[in-house]
Amino acid sequence: MYELINTTLIGITSGSIYALMAIAIVLVWRSTRIVNFAQAGMALLSTYLGYEFIRIFHSFWIALPLAMVAGALVAALIDLVFMRLLVKHASQGPIAAVAPIIATLGLLGVIRAFISFFWGNQDLAIDSPISNVGYTVGTHTLAISPLKLAILIASLALMGVLTLLFQRTNLGLALRASAFAPEISRLAGVRVDGVRTLGWALAGAAGAAAGMLQTPNGTGTLSPDSIEFSLLLVFGFIAAVIGGLESLLGAVLGGLILGLVLAFVLTYISGSLVFITGFVLLIVVLIALPRGIIGAKGARRA
Amino acid sequence: MRAVHKIKSNSTTRFIFFIALGIVLFLLSNRVDELRVYQGAEIAVYVIAISSLILLTGYSGQISLGHGALVAIGGYAAAVANINFHVPIWLTFFIAVLVSALFGALLGAAAARLSGPYLAGATLALAVGLPSIANQFTVLGGEQGLTFDAGMPPASLGEDFTVYKWNFWIAALATLAILWLLQNILRSRYGRTWRAIRSNDVAAELSGIAIGRSKVLAFALSAGIAGLAGACLAMLVGTVSPSAFPISLSFSLLTGAVLAGVTTLGGVMIGAVVLVAIPEIADAVANRFGGSESVTSNLPGLLVSALLILTVLLVPNGPVEQMRTIRSRKGVASHH
Repeated sequence: MYELINTTLIGITSGSIYALMAIAIVLVWRSTRIVNFAQAGMALLSTYLGYEFIRIFHSFWIALPLAMVAGALVAALIDLVFMRLLVKHASQGPIAAVAPIIATLGLLGVIRAFISFFWGNQDLAIDSPISNVGYTVGTHTLAISPLKLAILIASLALMGVLTLLFQRTNLGLALRASAFAPEISRLAGVRVDGVRTLGWALAGAAGAAAGMLQTPNGTGTLSPDSIEFSLLLVFGFIAAVIGGLESLLGAVLGGLILGLVLAFVLTYISGSLVFITGFVLLIVVLIALPRGIIGAKGARRA
Repeated sequence: MRAVHKIKSNSTTRFIFFIALGIVLFLLSNRVDELRVYQGAEIAVYVIAISSLILLTGYSGQISLGHGALVAIGGYAAAVANINFHVPIWLTFFIAVLVSALFGALLGAAAARLSGPYLAGATLALAVGLPSIANQFTVLGGEQGLTFDAGMPPASLGEDFTVYKWNFWIAALATLAILWLLQNILRSRYGRTWRAIRSNDVAAELSGIAIGRSKVLAFALSAGIAGLAGACLAMLVGTVSPSAFPISLSFSLLTGAVLAGVTTLGGVMIGAVVLVAIPEIADAVANRFGGSESVTSNLPGLLVSALLILTVLLVPNGPVEQMRTIRSRKGVASHH
């Protein structure tokens, strides 16, 4: 019984971090039609910057928003100096469909290499800002600690803010419009290029939050080859696709479903099957619902 | 009639060209030192793997970020056959091709329903997930992996004929055979079908092409070739283990394919040579400028990624295709 509860709790916590990453991928996809495989690299870079902020301000909770701002700036810069050029140059011919995917992979490699140049290959530690020891009920220890609770609240708050931004503000309207019909939006007076850069910036901030929260929740260390960030990339992507790639709500649901399924496989079947489970889940969902849980139709209305 | 005659003589010329290339490689392998022979074999493996990716992405229009997983399947199939059934070495290669082609057909059936980004993500998840399965089953040897012993070269080749040279011969022969086969397939009905689907799938379907079936066929064939690369890699390294097939292998193969020009088989050597040469170039550069340890270890990754980005920005269809375009433009200009 306690095992069941704990597995669920672990699944929800890790699922909410995957959801943040999925949101970052969905934001870029919605505003530019590019699947950003460099998102994990950008999240890693933002987390390194967050590590520097922690050293300056001695507080995780000050460093978190600063890292998100830094992540947003990095992402906006990447869009300005690189992605715009790419869209202009490689949008014709047989390569057009795969060029953005390949370019973001190249970007991932460049970011990794830069991180290693600046911070070296050794592990850096980000200490947990609050206790990561689980609450106890009677003699049992639950798999939810003050830190995990904080992660959950922070993720939910971020998702809420982004959803409000998209659904209730003029800016959100412009973001949705320029993704759906760039030409018409331009005629209606929306600065489509600027709005796209903003989409990248929002994604950068969400990715930075995922990286900052995942690190103390996981091993607590940062390294350029961090396996956890490869996981963030892959699982964030799977969550985004399960959710349909188009909607923020879908990304959140996808993240939670993935987190729960992986937690149950880890507890009840085998640790070495966790990764392949992600693949199987993705294939099963895509074959059953080719447009994800919340498909394109819903997203267009959203 | 004349056209038919031309095609025939073309395929004979190509065959002769491949034989000649084989003889040149054979003579070269006797001239250079052991390290170069080993690197030659590495290049051969990359050529096989990259050409399988070019077939899939460039010709049938399906992207794969997880070709390393298919290479892994080939390597493991060869090693399992080698250890458990004691079959001759050429048969392990054959089994590797068969097993990975079968897996590719299954994967292709799922992949044919997915488009661009969905397929990219699914194959990426596969590449991350598949190698860790080896930890689950004891027959696959867990984290240590399995050994693959290709055997010593036959005594008839002489005393000073080394294992490296033997491996190079096998890998080079496999490469030439695969390239020759692919050249012919891509010029056949199937090749034209794939190109038709890539250019315009609706038009292709209206012309009576069964899109799903051709895509699955391309995936199975590509997987089989990738499996052969895996068997060759297992022979070179002598072992297969989960850590030998990291996600970066899949990314390297894609990089090689893009550098080679993903839409033509013509540049496949470029991609493979660059992949093998870059670590060495990076080493030389870092030594010259006396870089620290972190610079030396990260320079290859940086160079590969930077090359990838530059290629996509400057020559998106690859250097060979670019030259062909320039030449044909010049040809048109001189007519006027």
